[in-house]
Amino acid sequence: MFPAMVIAILTAITAWWLLVQRLREKPWMKQGVVPTSQETVFSSAPKIGLWVFLAVVSSLFGLFSSAYVMRLHDAHGEITTWAPIVKPSLLWLNTTVLVLASGAMQIARNRVDRDDFGGVRVYFSVAGVLTVLFLAGQVLAWRQVAAAGNYGPGNPAFAFFILITAVHGIHLIGGMFVLARTIARVWRGADKLAVVTRSRLRMSVQLCTTYWHWLLLIWLGLFALLLST
Amino acid sequence: MAYVAIADRDAHLHDPQTFIEKYIWSQDHKVIAIQYGSVAIFVGLIALVLSLLMRLEIGFPDTFRFITPYNYYQFVTMHGMIMVIYLLTALFLGGFGNYLIPLMCGARDMVFPYMNMLSFWVYLLSVIVLLTSFFVPGGPTGAGWTLYPPQTVLEGTPGADWGIVLMLGSLAIFIVAFTMGGLNYVTTVLQARCRGMTLMRMPLSVWGIFVATILGLLAFPALLVAAIMMLLDRLIGTSFFMPALLSLGETSTHNGGSPILFQHLFWFFGHPEVYIVALPAFGIVSDLLSTHARKNIFGYRMMVWAIVAIGALSFVVWAHHMYVSGMNPYFGFFFATTTLIIAVPTAIKVYNWVLTLWRANIQVNTPNLFAIGFIFTFVHGGLTGLFLGNVTVDLPLSDTYFVIGHFHMVMGVSPVMVLFGAIYHWFPKITGKMPNEFLGRVHFWMTFLGTYAIYLPMHYLGILGMPRRYYAYGNTAFIPGSAQAVNEAITIAAIVVATAQVIFLINVFYSLRKGKPAGQNPWNATTLEWQTPQTPPVHGNWGPKLPVVYRWAYDYSVPGEAKDFVPQNEPPKGHQTSLG
Repeated sequence: MFPAMVIAILTAITAWWLLVQRLREKPWMKQGVVPTSQETVFSSAPKIGLWVFLAVVSSLFGLFSSAYVMRLHDAHGEITTWAPIVKPSLLWLNTTVLVLASGAMQIARNRVDRDDFGGVRVYFSVAGVLTVLFLAGQVLAWRQVAAAGNYGPGNPAFAFFILITAVHGIHLIGGMFVLARTIARVWRGADKLAVVTRSRLRMSVQLCTTYWHWLLLIWLGLFALLLST
Repeated sequence: MAYVAIADRDAHLHDPQTFIEKYIWSQDHKVIAIQYGSVAIFVGLIALVLSLLMRLEIGFPDTFRFITPYNYYQFVTMHGMIMVIYLLTALFLGGFGNYLIPLMCGARDMVFPYMNMLSFWVYLLSVIVLLTSFFVPGGPTGAGWTLYPPQTVLEGTPGADWGIVLMLGSLAIFIVAFTMGGLNYVTTVLQARCRGMTLMRMPLSVWGIFVATILGLLAFPALLVAAIMMLLDRLIGTSFFMPALLSLGETSTHNGGSPILFQHLFWFFGHPEVYIVALPAFGIVSDLLSTHARKNIFGYRMMVWAIVAIGALSFVVWAHHMYVSGMNPYFGFFFATTTLIIAVPTAIKVYNWVLTLWRANIQVNTPNLFAIGFIFTFVHGGLTGLFLGNVTVDLPLSDTYFVIGHFHMVMGVSPVMVLFGAIYHWFPKITGKMPNEFLGRVHFWMTFLGTYAIYLPMHYLGILGMPRRYYAYGNTAFIPGSAQAVNEAITIAAIVVATAQVIFLINVFYSLRKGKPAGQNPWNATTLEWQTPQTPPVHGNWGPKLPVVYRWAYDYSVPGEAKDFVPQNEPPKGHQTSLG
């Protein structure tokens, strides 16, 4: 029910904005050109594209979480009771690493606004390395959990833990491809870049940073859910 | 400061030069639309043949030895999955969405053309993976398009070995393709409209496709979650959906899973999915009726509101597909209430379509016939939906032919009527030639009357209690001989209607080569796609300058105007068309 509520609320807000604002218009009366500068909320297609994609990703994780919670409630009172898995403290370390990665990206993003492409190069690379460390840490955590409790795929807590962290990790890996491409472009000598390419690069840096922050937020939510069950 | 449209910023789209760039690895939305449409129709014809095989078995049991129970359920499943997802969703959104959105919004192309191209090829990959399931040991899955566990992954169900794996894999790939396409449609509508094209001046076709895309982007993840979890249950023995059970005398290794969880996830996707099919149809039919009745759509603002409201409400009705699952009756009450509420904006749309036709200058041509045919068949299907939406009435009708009659009318017949109407309507724009009117009329009447002959009797069979998804009915007291006679009649009608579609295909290919040249705007329509300098439109659509829009999309039969239509990009009298 929870994702339905969230979507219902989001839709209600969108509907309000769209309709209350727009339904006052009488399009059959208006003629002549309406200046469209007030029409676009952001002035950039890639930003909107990313935000729409983040809505899809959030929907995905929201649904995984719902399934997890539903399964959790089902299992209580079943023949097999819910056997929560051990949560290694490595997960806390991984979370810190991901926060640092996001931090590094934010610094890079601040630098790019000042056209400091050298700084971008450094901090983006740091963020990349930290993300790889996070992913490696997650895999290590899987092995620690598996070893600690000798869980099989039949244990729902274990299965969900692996599944949800894996899906999160896959999204990070996808982001790494874009990050790598951006770093490669910066490495080719940013001070010699034409204005158009520089603004494109700035956009890439902003998009990557937004994406990383959002995935961090998602991880924090997932982590809280995992810890509390 | 001079306004520069999104679509005109940055480097100009460079025109593709080679044959491969123009027609194969094309990033042009019009080519991609035709690619989507061709693959969707091809795979839809396969599903049509599967439905004929099913009807042959039901109409003439014990006659066709090559149709075994095993095969029958595979036909049922593949017919359903292909039609709903690989034909209807792909054709409305990938086909018509791609073609119409940039043209109707006055853009040169989608905002992410490379990703648009990728989305088609990934869709094609998903179709190939799906069709491969016909050739693997055990064949395709026979679990029903709803793929309910635990049966789907158990030995008794066809395709439990490989078929289900390929089906779930294909769905996952489709969802990736859909997400890429969907990002394009949403972002283009929000960002790339030309100067003067406000949201409330957009034609309803765009509104329908736009809201449907948003629904899809939020709902398909539910299917992805369900598919991934079922794949894991099948491949590595997790127990997300699989309870402990005894199968063919052996206890399974699964334990503790919940089949109901799958149903919730599936239908959380499944209900918005039917609106993903229906909303573009609603939008397109509004434009067809308006153009061919030479009258503005009645109540444009309410039509927009209704599309958005239907979209939002579609997320809170899903469990009306689960009334018989044993859930808490209070949940049933909640979902029945929301289901009846969603009927309100839908009904408003129907009234507005009818009111658009009221005292209009109705042109009798093939696209309009199909559009009016939509109204008839959709009302029919929608009314039976009211029966099924109420819990008590649904209990005896669930899993009977009543349900089959209902969903075919609302999803199979009416949106397909819109698809045909849309193809006849936009054929002159896409190809530059007019479709043959005589063949079109024959196609329409055979299809319209024929689909009534197929689906109307099914409602009676359902009330009688005849269950769905049965290979054979044998000699039971509650299914009398007369029901068998009805089944034969339905089968014959189905064969006739299927043959009528050959007439449509002949028309398409004949008109492509020998059709009358159409000119720029043969229907005298107001929307932007009919105002392109070239027909068919070339790469970049508009020539050196993007259009500027001065009015809404429905200035038909405006009092005081010389012609009975005023194109959206025609300036008002006395307006200075200066730059800036």
